[in-house]
Amino acid sequence: MASFKPTKIQVYPKLGEKVTQDTLYWKNYKAPVQIKEFGAVTSIDFSPVTPHNFAVTAFTRIHIYGPFSQEPVKSFTRFKDTAYCGRFRSDGQLLVAGCEDSVVRLFDVSGKVALRLFKGHTKAVHLTDFTSDRYQILTGSDDYTCRLWDIPNATELTTYREHTDYIRCGVTSKLNRDLFITGSYDHTVKLFDARVEKSVITMDHGQPVESVLLYPSEGLLVSAGGRHVKVWDLLKGGQPLVSLKNHHKTVTSLALSSNGQRLLSASLDRHVKVYSTTNYKVVHNFDYAASILSLALAPDDESIVVGMTNSILSIKHRKNQEDSKEIAGQQRRRPSYRVFVKGKNYVPKQDDYLVSKPVKEHLAKYDKQLRRFNVSKALDTALETWIRFRKPEITMAVIKELDRRGTLKNALAGRDERGLSQLLNFLIGNFVDARFTPVLVTAAEMILDIYQSIIGQSPLVDRQLLRLQDLVEKELDYQKELLEVLGMLDTMFASSLPRKEVPSPTVDHFPTCSLNTDS
Amino acid sequence: WEVLGPSAHVSALEMAADGGSSSLQLPCVFSPKSRQFLALCAQDGRLRIWNTDSKTLHQEYVPSAHLSATCTCIAWGPCRTVKEGPQRKKRKSEAVQVEEKADLLAMGTAAGTVLIYSTAKGALHCTLDGAHSGGVNCVQWHPEESLLYSGSDDTNIVEWDLQTGKTRSKWKADRAAVTSLCVSPDGKLLLSAGHIIKMWDLDTKEVYRKFTGHSTAVTTLRFATTRPPDSNGLYFLSGAAHDRLLSVWQVREDGKDKNSVVSFTLTDEPQHIDLVTSNSKEEAVRLAVVCKDGQLHLFEHFLNGPCKKPLSPSCTVQMSDTKESPMPIPLLAAVLGADTRTVMLAYGSHLQPVMEKVVSLLKETEIHDVKTPIVNAKSKVLVPGLPGHQAPLKGTSQGSEKRKKDTDTKEMSIAERLGEIDLSTISEKGASKGTASLQTDNFAVLLVQGLESNDASILNKVFQTRKDMVIKKTVARLPLSAVLPLVEEVTYTFVLSYRASLMVRWLKAVLMHHTSYLASLPDLVTQLGVLYHVIESRVKMFHKLTKLHGKLYLLMTQVSANICSAASFKSVFEDYSLTSQELSLSHKERMSLSSPHFCSYTPGSCEKSLHVVSKHLMTALRAPGDRFCKTELDFVLFSV
Repeated sequence: MASFKPTKIQVYPKLGEKVTQDTLYWKNYKAPVQIKEFGAVTSIDFSPVTPHNFAVTAFTRIHIYGPFSQEPVKSFTRFKDTAYCGRFRSDGQLLVAGCEDSVVRLFDVSGKVALRLFKGHTKAVHLTDFTSDRYQILTGSDDYTCRLWDIPNATELTTYREHTDYIRCGVTSKLNRDLFITGSYDHTVKLFDARVEKSVITMDHGQPVESVLLYPSEGLLVSAGGRHVKVWDLLKGGQPLVSLKNHHKTVTSLALSSNGQRLLSASLDRHVKVYSTTNYKVVHNFDYAASILSLALAPDDESIVVGMTNSILSIKHRKNQEDSKEIAGQQRRRPSYRVFVKGKNYVPKQDDYLVSKPVKEHLAKYDKQLRRFNVSKALDTALETWIRFRKPEITMAVIKELDRRGTLKNALAGRDERGLSQLLNFLIGNFVDARFTPVLVTAAEMILDIYQSIIGQSPLVDRQLLRLQDLVEKELDYQKELLEVLGMLDTMFASSLPRKEVPSPTVDHFPTCSLNTDS
Repeated sequence: WEVLGPSAHVSALEMAADGGSSSLQLPCVFSPKSRQFLALCAQDGRLRIWNTDSKTLHQEYVPSAHLSATCTCIAWGPCRTVKEGPQRKKRKSEAVQVEEKADLLAMGTAAGTVLIYSTAKGALHCTLDGAHSGGVNCVQWHPEESLLYSGSDDTNIVEWDLQTGKTRSKWKADRAAVTSLCVSPDGKLLLSAGHIIKMWDLDTKEVYRKFTGHSTAVTTLRFATTRPPDSNGLYFLSGAAHDRLLSVWQVREDGKDKNSVVSFTLTDEPQHIDLVTSNSKEEAVRLAVVCKDGQLHLFEHFLNGPCKKPLSPSCTVQMSDTKESPMPIPLLAAVLGADTRTVMLAYGSHLQPVMEKVVSLLKETEIHDVKTPIVNAKSKVLVPGLPGHQAPLKGTSQGSEKRKKDTDTKEMSIAERLGEIDLSTISEKGASKGTASLQTDNFAVLLVQGLESNDASILNKVFQTRKDMVIKKTVARLPLSAVLPLVEEVTYTFVLSYRASLMVRWLKAVLMHHTSYLASLPDLVTQLGVLYHVIESRVKMFHKLTKLHGKLYLLMTQVSANICSAASFKSVFEDYSLTSQELSLSHKERMSLSSPHFCSYTPGSCEKSLHVVSKHLMTALRAPGDRFCKTELDFVLFSV
């Protein structure tokens, strides 16, 4: 006995964004935790040592959050004015921060009062950082100078006066204690060497520089300013490598993913873009509610922390595998399933005699009806509200199957006003979907053939038919335009193809006619 | 004003820039007696003194600490003649003379200092400080001696001696901030209030009485009579924040003055008060109150004991501009003239207040429908704002119209000016062109931004345009670098198909405007190949669809033709039904009873009912078996 073949539901390609490795990776974050700070969040820095706390500079405070806490584990509030750029030392013990009142403060992470005050700048200090030998501090200020300080004595070592505008960002080399880089509103990024008293390399960014970032290898430098993100090759003496322009407002912050393969840029236009560092194409995009001022990634990309102008700090934690395992575990605990899989993985021994028991076929309702040749009922089932709206492809598959069997006409016939209007509703809803149109046109024609005698008797059906007519008319207009576009494209393709000699001399004047159809 | 009667509206040209003064309570006071000056303190701390006769700025003074210590209250004090309430001035007719003009002006600041400004010198006279630790809420002059009282957030009242510029005494007045002060006309009593109103004997600085009743901070205190307290004839009134009442309290000899005796209803919190005190029982108290909503209420009342019912204003004034849909203009302050019929008004923006003297025939007005004047075009119009304009307005509409015209030629509101500019640009470029080009420029920039950052909201906004002109111009202005991203974006939306019909226009525009650029691309086929395939797959069904459309079209026209013929056939019936309808109106009721659909059937709505009848007839004929249709048929037969 030939077994019944269930209706094949065609799988249509999903429309919309392409799923890539990157989208999967960057979408694998939980819903953000949002914390209201006291003012715009200007800087976020992760501690280099576990448990990787991070310091959030907002208004006159620096809060230190633990990796999972939503309350600050520590806060430094003794600033007389807006604080800037709270940064950890590489051992995570000390924290340095600039301030609007031009004083740089050094804190012990476990203490409360500043250990050292560095006075000397005359204007707000927006850049502070530790050098890699951990005994010096780099600061950059609105008074156009950047300075190196000795931590133990709190004395100024050197002053560099090369910039001609505010210095707003900078970074020290993690490999060499004498190298540091500053970015200024005078559009330049300068690489300084503490051993030679002046800048070694100057790079012109073209816009006021808001943020700089060094690759871990320190061969490449990324600068952000204006709407541009630029990558420079330091080993080649500061040659520009790439210029990216993927934001429509000023880019304010940069970050690098833990493996160094992805570069992130955050901007006032509320987006965070993720670039691949191999080809510098945007591979992912995050949207936030307000303009972003600061961005930081936890080690291993465990969390993405973003600070915004509306003083909201948004923390996205990575979904870890434990969570997903837990869900799987719950599923496994369901008894019915356990019963179902019982003995499934039993391996027969060699001398066991195998009695094959036919697996009971599970058929969908419409398939059962189809098997019994209840075509009308099968179509009814397929037109049930839930299927009709949520899985139109099932309805489509049933209609197609009926058409293949040649019983579509029977299935469509003999409906009352309600049934017919339901059918027409489905038609109207899915008619313009290019994937369904071929089947539905057939169905529509059949419906008209069957019911033309009663048209005009029910106002409801009449109205729906009018709507259908309307729809078809619009679709036709639209397709007409599309055909015109096709014509244009043909012409364009034709003219773009290299002119080849066509053997037949008669079509010599239109040598590309035959070619464009192939394209 | 001659007839600022029941619905008294004074319309005015809208002031060009209304600095949002209506929402803020700004200290604003007329000088006493002659009302020659209006002192106004803006949010930015500037004191401006306007001459009410010439309607010009008389003096401007910026205190040195005007931003940190903004002025919270001002009070005029001409040679010991006047006393003022917090934030508003109160005119006491008392000693006068020595100087014609009001000279000294006391300003309390948020920093706790009191500045004395001299209009005669046009400079700061002196600064009184050191006594208050909180902001000053109110300053009041003693009517006779050169004393000044100030109440502050620090709960203290300070008595300043202006001769020496020093504190004469200072005492704690309340547990809460002192928000209002008032010195009695005879200078012997002082009222102070936070939430509780206290009456102090100024000689001993002891509390004479306490009055409780307000639940919010009292902002206004004013003596209403000049009689001595021992005659049961001393009344004062008080108004509080967020309170739409002014309460009148009687100071009784026997001390049984627990509750207020009279209350006046207002439309909003009182902002500025002026009143003419009564000296005897036979004299009415006249009161002008400007509320926070910008309306002026005028009251007249004889104070003689309790009156249970709240009193409504005898006249309400709301200023409005003279546009087609008039907008109300908030009043800033109003004072009653010495002559019982005049009122001086200040209104509009605090940056450029308009001052005007108007005449009222308060007594002749009817009081009924005065409460909330509705601003409408029919109201009698008095156009203010003309220097020297004091003429009472004739009640005739002719006069007002003339006046309106006059001002229109002289002054134009910003909106009108903008309108003129619009017209001129349109006449230059032609209406639609001018606006479209403006917008497309915008759109091109937006589109480029959206494409660069791939911002869905921006792109949506741009792509929702339906105007062909806008699309064309936008595409034409698109830089070449943005063309390919746009094509990509368009392709993407084509695949999604939900707004594809709109995108065709964009695509066409791109292909037309950038043909040569696109054609010059070496990898054109790969760039546009996806798009080509998407479109091709979409138009595959064109042939079949057209056929289907033909079928549908044929059927539907058949149906509609049938309906038409049926309708024309039935119209005979309708005529009959209609005539019968008109002949026997008595049938109407029965009909409406028999069929609810005809409830609205009146001879006046014949057209509509005709339509209804025809519709019902058609359905009835089509499906005679239906029960509902039967009743319809019955009805038709019946009416025939």
